[in-house]
Amino acid sequence: MKPEPSHAVLQALEAHAHARTGRVGRRALRFSALLLALGLLAASAHIAQVDPARLITGLPRLGHWLATAWPPKLDELPIFLWRTAETVAMAAVGTTIATVLAIPMAMLASRNLTPWPRLYLPARWLLNALRGIDSFVFALLFVAAVGLGPFAGVLGIALHTWGSAGKFMADTIESAPLGPMQAVEATGASRLVAARFALVPEVMPAVLSSTLYLFEFNVRASTVLGVVGAGGIGQELKNSMDLLDFARLATIIVVILVVVTGIDQFAAWLRRRLV
Amino acid sequence: MAAQGVVLATRALCKRLGERPIVQGLNLDVGRGECLALLGPSGAGKTTLIRCLSGQLPPDDGQVLLEGHNVDVLGRSRRRRVAVVFQQFNLVGRISALDNVLAGRLGYLPVWRAMLGRFEPCDRLQALQCLERVGMLEHAGRRADTLSGGQQQRVAIARALAQQPAVILADEPIASLDPVNGAAVLDLLRDIARTEGVAVVCSLHQLELAVAWADRILGMAPNRPAIDLPAHRFDADTSAHIYGWKPEFGGIA
Repeated sequence: MKPEPSHAVLQALEAHAHARTGRVGRRALRFSALLLALGLLAASAHIAQVDPARLITGLPRLGHWLATAWPPKLDELPIFLWRTAETVAMAAVGTTIATVLAIPMAMLASRNLTPWPRLYLPARWLLNALRGIDSFVFALLFVAAVGLGPFAGVLGIALHTWGSAGKFMADTIESAPLGPMQAVEATGASRLVAARFALVPEVMPAVLSSTLYLFEFNVRASTVLGVVGAGGIGQELKNSMDLLDFARLATIIVVILVVVTGIDQFAAWLRRRLV
Repeated sequence: MAAQGVVLATRALCKRLGERPIVQGLNLDVGRGECLALLGPSGAGKTTLIRCLSGQLPPDDGQVLLEGHNVDVLGRSRRRRVAVVFQQFNLVGRISALDNVLAGRLGYLPVWRAMLGRFEPCDRLQALQCLERVGMLEHAGRRADTLSGGQQQRVAIARALAQQPAVILADEPIASLDPVNGAAVLDLLRDIARTEGVAVVCSLHQLELAVAWADRILGMAPNRPAIDLPAHRFDADTSAHIYGWKPEFGGIA
């Protein structure tokens, strides 16, 4: 048998029941928020010129192309594989350059580690700006600067990934435990040595894992860089489309799918072993 | 203690935490091999005083002297003579116990060697000896984050020893440990003080442990002058001065 609830408990029960039903004002607020979200969505559909009718009239054309995509064009397979290798190489070199450049930037952009607190915000801004501009846009600029070919793609990937990798590393450093670093500094080691000794082992697995992820991401992203002339399989993709050669196009897409899936699986396996 | 045996001293030390004075005009001498316990309620400023003694915080007035040199302007060669032991051990979790102890040698290494992690064989030998000294030699290769709390604090003390310190400052070194491990860590610290001649300053919360462990006690209370007295003269009145209550003192006083 439970004891009779006290007056104070009953009062609290009533107050909570009241609070849960919510006031009329709050309900009205929720309703108008929903209306606003729907309105924004409708406006977006209008701006994006969403037109289901065009999709319906276009579908038969798509079906016709699909029908001509068989049989695949295997005679050009060595070229496709070579171009895909170019794509993977661009991602590998670009990601590596970005990671190396990101290390000093991440130190500047971590509140707890920066030797010059005044540069903390500018460093963060720079990383955000680099991250905000896509590899594709950078590649466009570099094709103009250094000419057609995969090197422009490498530079584009490196710049964009520099921002992503730097921001991730800085966030990892900022959330790392500070006690060990403080303790190593207290032994008479300099700040840099203490960071090398106490911080690097703590953040290394996360940094390696994110680098692998960025590599995966860059392999996928760099398949299209060839469209702007920055090397890799994207160039062949665009050529096929320009010639309306759908058998060739389909073959290339299958090659991309196989390679990208393979690399994703491999990198995921490697990352599981790291963490 | 004879004057020439003094390794850590304060002269007219004043330190405030925000607006609140922690110590005002403190004159303290800690000799070779001496154990000094800092007692006082939370907020009395024990941690601030320890950070001040280690040179991590500058004094507001007066001086902290390590082997006769002003702590304020300690170079690297002097800084390594002060070792700090923390409540949360503060080991680097993902590296081995031995590597953690080697960190205590970083103050003796040129920067390029430290950056490359290239310790001399004699540094490794010494680090292993320090691990043996704290009874952790068999765990030298284990990752620090796989050790128990008591074991981690032992490794942290070995790291302190590897610095070949004149003073070990311990900020509530047993507050995160169970009573048995805590008592063992205190025994170890006193043993190190006696055999290596290191001065040990240790803040504690357990009154009876502190009285039994220390040679001297510095009692700190918020807004009151600190009392410095031999541990055997610590009694209920002193406790009342520090904590504002009189404990039952079993057979100790």
